[in-house]
Amino acid sequence: MDIPGQLNVTTSEEEVEPILELTPELVQKRRSQARIIFDRFIRNRAALLGAAFLILMFLFCFLGPTVSGHIQPDVIHPADASQAPSLKYPFGTDYIGRDQFARAMAGGQVSLLVGLSSMLMAIVFGIGIGSMAGYFGGLADNILMRLTDVVLAVPLYLLLFVLSASYSDGSVTSVVFLIAIFGWTYTARLVRGEFLALKEREYVLAARTIGAGHFRIMFRHVLPNAAGPIIVSATLLVGANIILESVLSYFGFGLHPPSSSWGNMISDGQPLFDVSPWLVFAPGMLIFSTVLSFNLVGDGLRDALDPYMTER
Amino acid sequence: MGEYLLEVQDLKTYFTVKAGKVRAVDGVSFAIKPGEKLGVVGESGCGKSVTALSIMRLLPQPPGEIAGGSVLFEEQDLVDLPESAMRKIRGGKIGMIFQDPMTCLNPTMTVGKQIAEALRIHLKLSKDEAQKRAISLLDQVGIPAAAERINSYPHQFSGGMRQRVMIAIALACNPKLLIADEPTTALDVTVQAQILELINGVCSEFGTAVIIITHDLGVVAGMTDRVVVMYAGKVVEMAPTNELFANPRHPYTLGLLDSVPRLDEQRHSELRTIEGAPPDLLKPPPGCPFMPRCTFARSICRTMPPLDSLVGNAAHRKACWVDVTDPQEQAYAEKRRQNRIEKVFARMNAQSGSTQSALEEK
Repeated sequence: MDIPGQLNVTTSEEEVEPILELTPELVQKRRSQARIIFDRFIRNRAALLGAAFLILMFLFCFLGPTVSGHIQPDVIHPADASQAPSLKYPFGTDYIGRDQFARAMAGGQVSLLVGLSSMLMAIVFGIGIGSMAGYFGGLADNILMRLTDVVLAVPLYLLLFVLSASYSDGSVTSVVFLIAIFGWTYTARLVRGEFLALKEREYVLAARTIGAGHFRIMFRHVLPNAAGPIIVSATLLVGANIILESVLSYFGFGLHPPSSSWGNMISDGQPLFDVSPWLVFAPGMLIFSTVLSFNLVGDGLRDALDPYMTER
Repeated sequence: MGEYLLEVQDLKTYFTVKAGKVRAVDGVSFAIKPGEKLGVVGESGCGKSVTALSIMRLLPQPPGEIAGGSVLFEEQDLVDLPESAMRKIRGGKIGMIFQDPMTCLNPTMTVGKQIAEALRIHLKLSKDEAQKRAISLLDQVGIPAAAERINSYPHQFSGGMRQRVMIAIALACNPKLLIADEPTTALDVTVQAQILELINGVCSEFGTAVIIITHDLGVVAGMTDRVVVMYAGKVVEMAPTNELFANPRHPYTLGLLDSVPRLDEQRHSELRTIEGAPPDLLKPPPGCPFMPRCTFARSICRTMPPLDSLVGNAAHRKACWVDVTDPQEQAYAEKRRQNRIEKVFARMNAQSGSTQSALEEK
């Protein structure tokens, strides 16, 4: 996508230069698609803030332990039990003396990983179902979309609790699967809608005239053109999945100890809210701000990827 | 057999809609020899594009279906060919270009990749070989600095350049036949001539036969060997290009020619229109479809005339009962035309008179 370098190729440098100088706004227009989207995204303050915060959050969770030295989330310090936040324990300790700062970072790793990987699974599955339904239409569309409707009609939390109680072993992988099983529906609907509209485009007909097969048309021609909405929904899905994981863990149907997540920490800290409110506030604020950031970034991407957005 | 590359015989393509069957193509027959350039002309909605899509078997297929006839390509009937075999023919043996180059290129793929795609599908070339071939193709269709431009995206190209890219894609696998569906309609007039010249030049070079579909008689006159005139899903006249322009024998062809200004002849000082509109293809008239608009029409026209060769000129065929070169028939047609014009004027006068009287009352 590196375009600026190519502009001067056809004509010599001397011919082009004065024209470009006379019309600075034209020079600005000659940006690549990616550059235009990036510029629009940068201009959205809230989205930029969200993105910056997310980068910080990833650094905090994955590099934080080694940098700060809080590397023992599960070690008990009976002497320091139930301490309020201090310099030694920035997020305080719980009633058996575990370092909440270390636990927040370790739990954050799990929460982010669960959010991201269940999003990836759900998106891949959703694209699979949605693209088949939208591209082939007719009977395939009917069967796949009714299936989607059925999944959407089931009370999500109840079924998750039941499934988790009977099949999940409380490991990270099982929770990722559990969340992804239900996350794909919205993506599938979105992808189907995009495919329904895009398959009527003339370049799809043109691709058929050169003898391209269904698979090639679906994934080489149609899918890239639907990338914008899918990226947006993926971003928003990460936030939703983090919340879902926290809810599951809070009710005890998510991750089992010793693995900890932000949801676990809130659930552990809740009985002690009167004496040690920091046990709930720290992970609660982390969830809140992370999900908010994902949503801000998602909204920013939506605006940036929308070709009909006029430049402000 | 064997003489023709493509033989369309009695092709019928119907679209099923709520109100019934639309007979978009109704018994069309024509043939094209290897390397020949055939023009298909007619006004909007007379089945030109549907004929092309039927040959390629690319009709949108709940509503459309090929209801009868055959399309023999290299002695293979494309109508019954399984989809997988058809896919090998599309792009490999028959290339196609469309009207609007703005929408026919995928905005998310580089131009080079789109040209290379056909090569990779049909010739199974490796990425590098396909890339090299794409550069030379882009060069052949007259895009400067092809080696750099293959990495550009379609939005960085102008309309004419995009049509050049489409031509490169269609000709990538060196097909035997190129179907060009109104290739210049969406282009600037100055670019139109260049594109036609390019199609002409490249196809002569490759020995590709061309079917060029257009409503622009100028396009046909400039670059085709033979012309098929279509009206309401039927072929009404077919002749070598020079013959058709010098000696048109179907009233519809006459009407088409009279409606275009010509620099070479001063037959009429005025441009004539063809009165009325094409018939509803849901309920086509039982006889000649052009009869309701035809000034030469007689009662025999209520039955469809066969597409017969002219006496002494087998290459020129027309589907009309009337001999339009007969002075008596011409005089009769002229009288009917005058009558119609007078009627129109009378109606206009009556209308303006009534508005005038309405004004006076106020």
